[in-house]
Amino acid sequence: MSFISIEFLLFLTMIVAIYYAIPHRFRWLLLLFAGYVFYAALSVQFIPLLLTSTAFTYVIGILIERQERKQQKKRLMWVGVSVLVLFLGWFKYFNFVNDSLRAFADWSGFNYDVPYKEIILPLAISFYTFQAISYVVDIYRGKQKAERHYGYFSVYFAFFPQLVAGPIERAKKLLPQLKTEQHLDYDNVRYGIQRIIWGFFKKTLIADRLAPIVSSVFNSPDPTGSEIVLATMLFSIQLFADFSACSDIAIGSARLFGIKLTENFKQPHFAVSIADFWNRWHITLSTWLRDYIFMPLAKGKKKRQQIYVAIIMTFLVSGIWHGAAWNFVLWGLIHGIYRVFGDHTRQQREKMAAWVGINRIPTLHHWWKIAVTFQLVCFSRVFFQSHSMGEAFSHAKLYVTPASWAPSGMMQAIQMFSLLDLIIFLVVFLTVHLFQHVERTKGSAWDWMARQSPVTSVAINLFLIVSAFLFGVSSQGFVYGGF
Amino acid sequence: MTNIEKYKLAFMNGLELDESVVYENLELGMTKEWDSIGHMTLIAELEDAFDVYIDSDEMTEFTSYQTGMELLTRLGVDFRS
Repeated sequence: MSFISIEFLLFLTMIVAIYYAIPHRFRWLLLLFAGYVFYAALSVQFIPLLLTSTAFTYVIGILIERQERKQQKKRLMWVGVSVLVLFLGWFKYFNFVNDSLRAFADWSGFNYDVPYKEIILPLAISFYTFQAISYVVDIYRGKQKAERHYGYFSVYFAFFPQLVAGPIERAKKLLPQLKTEQHLDYDNVRYGIQRIIWGFFKKTLIADRLAPIVSSVFNSPDPTGSEIVLATMLFSIQLFADFSACSDIAIGSARLFGIKLTENFKQPHFAVSIADFWNRWHITLSTWLRDYIFMPLAKGKKKRQQIYVAIIMTFLVSGIWHGAAWNFVLWGLIHGIYRVFGDHTRQQREKMAAWVGINRIPTLHHWWKIAVTFQLVCFSRVFFQSHSMGEAFSHAKLYVTPASWAPSGMMQAIQMFSLLDLIIFLVVFLTVHLFQHVERTKGSAWDWMARQSPVTSVAINLFLIVSAFLFGVSSQGFVYGGF
Repeated sequence: MTNIEKYKLAFMNGLELDESVVYENLELGMTKEWDSIGHMTLIAELEDAFDVYIDSDEMTEFTSYQTGMELLTRLGVDFRS
């Protein structure tokens, strides 16, 4: 049962209707049942793993809290984190490590005979494991009380709107909302439905329409440089549309139950630096990495160089979290280098901007920084999208070759679009930018929508729904659903 | 050395600032040295100087010379001594 399906909409409607029809004391049971049904519909064989992780995290949380000495708490916290990472590591990284060791043994002439194992990646394991780790560490740090109600705790682990691809929520934000009695509220329902419609619009009209075009280039044995350049930029748009749509549907669905999830995106492709980009892209992962990887690594370091090492290591963790392959490791490393290089050269870049005179025209300077950041992000995504290291380097070389950017080559590459695809893409792209313009100038597009007359509001929503029905395609799962 | 002197010294060491630059209206981002990375080195200096632990939430509320003093006062540092 994908988010983009009639089944999901019917399922959501039914659960919301029952939720408000039954007394508050039974609602956790309904949400838990819905979470497990939703998960089972997608990946029934991994229900036992989800149940085991939930039970383990629940027990270890209480055990950590019960210890009186800090040292005992710390030891149990490490036991908890290690077991959770072991679950994740076995399913997600066993073959990556195994293949890497085998390749190293072949290269160095050692004997290595651990066979390849057919291991399927359990759905959502990267997301719920990170939620579990934050819960265990927060109890150790004294920021979170161990939850005693097993039912509510299980819902925190398996709240179906955000179970598959986030946002990665902290217990201190989600648990109190689950426990609060929610009343049917017109504003929440309107907001929730609008976010879901917006998610469907972005997913079916941008992400899934671009996906086959992008894949045709990246799956091609000999793409031209211009095709790689265009497909990489389109992939950036596809990935944003895909993942932000998933977050929109998650946030909208949760709001129908009166629950506010954390925003995951703030127009990331309008970032003016790599540091700014990571404050706007997959925000709940970025803040997780900041609090549970970067802070412990950077704590107590008194030299910038030591903090640079912590930054690089944090981005390596980010890379490996996204996928068990060397191209993801390299993608993370590239972002770490961007971030460190950006910090180290800030003064020189400011001097250069003053020398060129671009800083005397703030608007131009601002858009220049946006364009450079977007290009840096796109270049890194060549590694994100490629299937192997060899392919990634070959595509990266094409991306930075000046001839690949020649207008004649780009005009040829644009023929990968059919005329209908191109028109739909341009109309939808403009619609999304209009929305983002409202966000930048009015603060929140959703508040702006709420202030519109009912006629305008219905017209906008009808346009989005009809467009999605007439021109939307849906043949793909969500990219981040695979992580 | 008084605690206020130790506090100023931590700014000078952690951010590699000249004494004349460390004044009461100093805020995060006001000088090129006190950026997000400089903030981490400053926190490490303050933790060592006053033997306290500053967690990530407290780090984010520490945005100026003044709020740093308020935070340390809450953590038991007496700036009158």
